[in-house]
Amino acid sequence: MPRPGVPRPALRRFRLPNGLRVVLARETESPTASVWVWYRVGSKNEWPGITGASHWVEHMLFQGSPRYGKGEIDRAVVEVGGTLNAFTDTDFTAYYSTVPREHLAVPLDIESDRMTRALLRDEEVERERTVIHSEREGNENWPEFLVEEELFQLGFRAHPYRWDALGSRADIERLTPAELRAYYQRFYGPRNAVLVVAGGFDSAATERGIRRRFSTLPSSGDDVRVRAVEPPPRGERRAVLGGPGTTPYLRIGWRSPALADPATPAAMAVNAILGGDIPLFSVSSGWWRRAEHPSSRLYRALVDPGLAVRAGSSWHPREYPSLFTVWALAAPRQSLDRIEGVISSVLERLARSGPSRVELDDFRVKVRRGVRLAYEGASHVGFRLGYFSTVGSIEFEDRLYRALLSVRASEVRDRARELFRDEAKVTVSYLPTSGASNA
Amino acid sequence: MPDPRAPLRIEFARDVEGLRVVRQPAPAAAASFSASYVGPAGWGFDPPGEEGAARSAAQLVTAAAGPFDRVALARRLDRAGATLSQELTPEAVELTIWGPADAWKELLGLLAVVVRRPRFDPDDIERVRRQLFERQLRETTQPAGRADRELLRVVFPPGHPYRRTGLGDRRSVARLDRDALVRFHETHYRAEGAALVVTARAPAAAVEAAARRSFGGMRGAPAPALAVPSLGSARPRSIELDLPGRSQVEVRLGGPSIAESDPEYPAAYLANQVLGGRQYLSRLFQRVRERNGLAYHASSHLESLRLGGIWTAQAGTGGERWRRVVPMIAEEVERIRRRRIPDAELRRIRESVIGELPLALESTDEAHALAVEVAYHDLPADFWLTWPDRLRAARPVAVEAAAQTAFERNRSATVVAGPLSPLVRT
Repeated sequence: MPRPGVPRPALRRFRLPNGLRVVLARETESPTASVWVWYRVGSKNEWPGITGASHWVEHMLFQGSPRYGKGEIDRAVVEVGGTLNAFTDTDFTAYYSTVPREHLAVPLDIESDRMTRALLRDEEVERERTVIHSEREGNENWPEFLVEEELFQLGFRAHPYRWDALGSRADIERLTPAELRAYYQRFYGPRNAVLVVAGGFDSAATERGIRRRFSTLPSSGDDVRVRAVEPPPRGERRAVLGGPGTTPYLRIGWRSPALADPATPAAMAVNAILGGDIPLFSVSSGWWRRAEHPSSRLYRALVDPGLAVRAGSSWHPREYPSLFTVWALAAPRQSLDRIEGVISSVLERLARSGPSRVELDDFRVKVRRGVRLAYEGASHVGFRLGYFSTVGSIEFEDRLYRALLSVRASEVRDRARELFRDEAKVTVSYLPTSGASNA
Repeated sequence: MPDPRAPLRIEFARDVEGLRVVRQPAPAAAASFSASYVGPAGWGFDPPGEEGAARSAAQLVTAAAGPFDRVALARRLDRAGATLSQELTPEAVELTIWGPADAWKELLGLLAVVVRRPRFDPDDIERVRRQLFERQLRETTQPAGRADRELLRVVFPPGHPYRRTGLGDRRSVARLDRDALVRFHETHYRAEGAALVVTARAPAAAVEAAARRSFGGMRGAPAPALAVPSLGSARPRSIELDLPGRSQVEVRLGGPSIAESDPEYPAAYLANQVLGGRQYLSRLFQRVRERNGLAYHASSHLESLRLGGIWTAQAGTGGERWRRVVPMIAEEVERIRRRRIPDAELRRIRESVIGELPLALESTDEAHALAVEVAYHDLPADFWLTWPDRLRAARPVAVEAAAQTAFERNRSATVVAGPLSPLVRT
């Protein structure tokens, strides 16, 4: 009997001699083609002094390469009716364009041109500095961003997960164009990249086009594994932030397993039961989306009785151990101390008694139903294939899916016990110091 | 091979007892289904003194309905692999259910339960009230929310449905009790003036039959109408709001604009794309971000509704840079109004807009948005098929004329909100 896997389009996969991995997912009826390049480079590969470099490189890869001058990449894609963008995370950076399928050659040409030969000219790097400052300032307007940044700084002493992908203000101010070019030349290349093409296209012609464009690139891309090992936590860490705002906000983190860790499926179930989210495996939990989950334990314990206006848990498993977090936005006249007490009792109960049969059944159904539509649309196909190819493999998605479906109640209980240890706890509170009061 | 453009042609089924049923073929490769109820329940209909009623009602109908309390409804959706969402404009509510195509009848039935039989449980009412209070506070203290709010308050007169953001104020939301919410629902969630938009593989007759089973018997009093006071005469205004301690300054320049039914709409749409709507190609993006590196976001928006519209040119910039950004945005708005767009630039933007239509056809939810727009504005069935021709028919002179109407400056305002110190003028 075949083992269940995630339903996805048929794939053609190959690797070029220079190390570039290629995944083709053809859907004959799709009117579009989506091209994704995923680099296994992210803020994990930076170091103090150049934090934010991966994100800055992301911006610069739109600012000129040998065949595409400044602005021409955007123009080439948008003029044919396409859309394009990019994003940077701790573990990866992804660039994508989705175009009407007859224009597939345009993004392929662009990606081959900027994979190793982006120009990163001094004057363009300088001009982008204020744009990146502005992007960071926009995030700083939100207490949730400030709290998350502080939480990871407290939670990590040695590992690069301690800084946000946007980088610190000081490093954005200081980083030189030469340093940025050196960073790009060191890490960005076929050896660290996955090219995914999804949608309606001619397979043979597309493969020929890819080989012609990408085979001539040098086999570059330094080892991106992180050597720094975070020492085990030895005690609780706390910070209280103050600033403008209206509502006290609390976020608590604990060291969590890495994505490939056998403990991850059970930890994902813990996350689902506490907060409702199952990133990548539930229709109501996109990678960035944070929907309300009224059936989750934290929602019922905090939002239903009026202690918080919103509450949940948040965890995206990463390449290395990261932080599993729980958060709450206080309701009027409610103290964060009381909220923290309730959170503790919710976690203790899960660690003591595990999930109910209904909760575990709901979790499995949610996963099973959630993946059915995950591969709808060329852009989603490109995202998902690229993500799993980058963080593990496409087969890893199937293994994780099967593991999620077979998680047992005792594993969830044991994982909650292992996760929520006081000595591994990091807490950040945000207390508004001005603006209208929520009292 | 199926015609990939099939979802561009919308089909109107027969009305189901006053409810207009709109069916759109799903994209050929799609495995999902979408249905939306679009009804006259936007915040423009909030009764005086009960501002916030429409938003509260929309949140509550999607929270618990029929036999499903809040937890049961969430579990029901999860078990179906479906999502339920709500969106509001001043004029309408849009409730959308999305899930697997093979469950379409069941999901359509669930949407009907939500629309017709909300529970308005007391606990849910209190929860939504607390959430609205929190959003009100954020709106007044966050630079982006505050700038948007102030702009509407300045450019629309008292009593105008577009003047508000639908969150109400502390007093009006505190006053909303179950009776008020039930009353709002009975008056505004109805067949008359509403549409059911279904994007599915199922043929129109099957959709109509299923709609009749689930939504039949909703007929009631005539559809409510929104009163829209005259905009009156005005002059451009400028407001600076200091929000100390924040990092970014949000800049808004905007004012009243035209409805989508306005004959000048296609030309105005193109003018907005040139100004700031077509992100990477637009003048605002190119000048403010790409050439001068002054902001992360710089764009313009033309939100054309049924009774009128709102235009906005905006940017988010650092505390020390906003004084350079404000005149830059104003200059670009004046340029689009006063100087004809060069042929080559207009052609580039227009072909980009036309070229992107296939992108809306790669998944059900994206195609569905096109059908909702047809239903919302009561557009012809072939609207999207003929849209490229209407855009190509808009000559530069017509675009220039439309820009003068759509981006009218006499009633416009400039709002700057964020850390402006040391100079403060409110």
